[in-house]
Amino acid sequence: MRPERPNRFLWLAAPVLAAATPAAVQSASEAARSPETIFASRCAYCHDDGGWGTRALARRMPEGEAALLDRVNLPPAYTAFVVRRGIGAMPQFTPAELTDEELEALANWLEDRN
Amino acid sequence: MSVLPPGLTQETFDQALAEFRAAIGPQWVFTSDADRASYLDPFDIGDQDDHASSAALAPSGVEDCRKILEIANRYRVPLWPISMGKNLAYGTAAPEMRGSVILDLKRMNRILEIDEEMGTAVVEPGVSFFDFKAELDRRQSGLWMSGPSHSWGSVIGNALEHGVGYTPYGQHAETICGMEVMLADGSLVRTGLGAVEGTREWQAYRWPFGPGLDGMFTQSNFGIVTKMGLCLMPEPEGMAGVSIRIPDRGDFRALIDTLRPLRMTDVINAPYTIANGWRQITGGRVRSEVWDGPGAISRERMEELLAERGQGWWSVIFNLFDSPAGLDLRLEKIRQAFSQNIPGATIEVRRWEQGQPKESWMRQDVSLAPLGVVDWGGNPGGHSDFGPIVAPLGDRAEEVYAIIERRFLEYGKDPWIGMFGISSRALIFVADMFYTRTDAEETERCRRLFRQLCADMTGIGIGLYRTHLRFMDDAVAMHGWGDHALPKLNNRIKAALDPNGILAPGKQGIGSWNDKEEEGQ
Repeated sequence: MRPERPNRFLWLAAPVLAAATPAAVQSASEAARSPETIFASRCAYCHDDGGWGTRALARRMPEGEAALLDRVNLPPAYTAFVVRRGIGAMPQFTPAELTDEELEALANWLEDRN
Repeated sequence: MSVLPPGLTQETFDQALAEFRAAIGPQWVFTSDADRASYLDPFDIGDQDDHASSAALAPSGVEDCRKILEIANRYRVPLWPISMGKNLAYGTAAPEMRGSVILDLKRMNRILEIDEEMGTAVVEPGVSFFDFKAELDRRQSGLWMSGPSHSWGSVIGNALEHGVGYTPYGQHAETICGMEVMLADGSLVRTGLGAVEGTREWQAYRWPFGPGLDGMFTQSNFGIVTKMGLCLMPEPEGMAGVSIRIPDRGDFRALIDTLRPLRMTDVINAPYTIANGWRQITGGRVRSEVWDGPGAISRERMEELLAERGQGWWSVIFNLFDSPAGLDLRLEKIRQAFSQNIPGATIEVRRWEQGQPKESWMRQDVSLAPLGVVDWGGNPGGHSDFGPIVAPLGDRAEEVYAIIERRFLEYGKDPWIGMFGISSRALIFVADMFYTRTDAEETERCRRLFRQLCADMTGIGIGLYRTHLRFMDDAVAMHGWGDHALPKLNNRIKAALDPNGILAPGKQGIGSWNDKEEEGQ
């Protein structure tokens, strides 16, 4: 059993929400979003500690590597493939939802963190 | 491998794609294998390629949609509009007809209005429940969202597909108050009082002078909904979360007949969910951890597992919304009814009042929790839901339940059945088939089970609430009254509004290109 840890993305939530503007709000700007923003708003629901994705990966990953940010080896090409094709119970993301450029930056960011 | 729209040559399709690129920008026309793969149904109950798209287009707004429709009409390119494309278990983003071009409306994602005084909002198709909740929170709104069990989908898309939530506003199609719709010829229409220039009342009242048309654009292919008004619930003074356990399997009829009057008199003022035994033993594990025998998990084993968790044969959960004093009155009536009709039932209650932190049982936070159960039957997992609409009468519900449970066991599938008291006069059954997607024998068996159940339900006069793409024609065929008069009317409307049949052919069994070939059109 892993020790409980605080949610690592709470600090990201404020800037994500603050980016919205009052009147007619574009819920996701077409300007490229940073990997941190994408991870917090699109990945962390499942891949943060305690998320269902983390729990599912705990069944088949080495101990301590179930959370994506704890992964020792996460090649960008693999991340890009999984995001576009889905894997296991994870549905895929379309290019209208996450552009190729954003996906590449996200995949590189994930690799650099590990 | 290249996939083409039916009837088009590669050369003609290439010309159409070139025009789409010129119209909306080449970066928003997706044709690569990887991009097209992202529109496949990850949980398909068979070969995903049966519902492969030939390309995807992502317009930025109604003017882009109009340009796309003009080109599609000229080349006879079938389009499959999606909003977020997360219609999970019902087809996700994939088209009914193989070779259709996805019209991905994700980029149209503005929250145009949240009216705190009127309790309404106007949104575009690409607004997800995640986005919408974040904006309500950002504004510190006094209005609450009614979300489905997973929040990745579109607010508009879920309402259009008759999705459900867990508040008094949980019948999402009922919360629709005005639409903007682009028809196949590119004309733009506003329904209801939105047709009055300069109106303040578009979202105030859904019945205009003349027919109310909002419903005809739900679960249909008569137009592209580009904006939608919806009613939002003001934050209640308090909530109570009620959880009821019923140990005895034989109390099902009494349970339905106890809940119906409570719901009809609005004592229970939000949808309730009934779960049978198999549905309650799932959480936090996979099937192979509890059963390695052939066929469905036996009733004996299931009862052992229920006992381990201290659960009864049936469970009911629902939330109540009222002032603290009002909640007391509602709870007293509920306790009285159960004590009189089902003495063995145990009732647990949690409470919340305005100003206190929200808790998970309130279902007021965004969630992706249902994805966690997809691998229950095996990895890579999938599921498809059989969803008959049933009157909440003890005899009737028992008749339908018995058929579904028997058929599931006969086909070697766990009868994983929930029932949603969506309104005071309708129960929606959701009987889930979980399968390993790569197991062709299992998915084929599930398809046979689904079609067997369609035949069974047709025999007793029951229709469905929603289906996966694969069963659109099976579901529409269940509407046989008057020599299928209603499906025929839908096809006549379709032919009038979309004579080239370019908008979502085959959706809900309407305007299928196969029908046209059979009829020699």
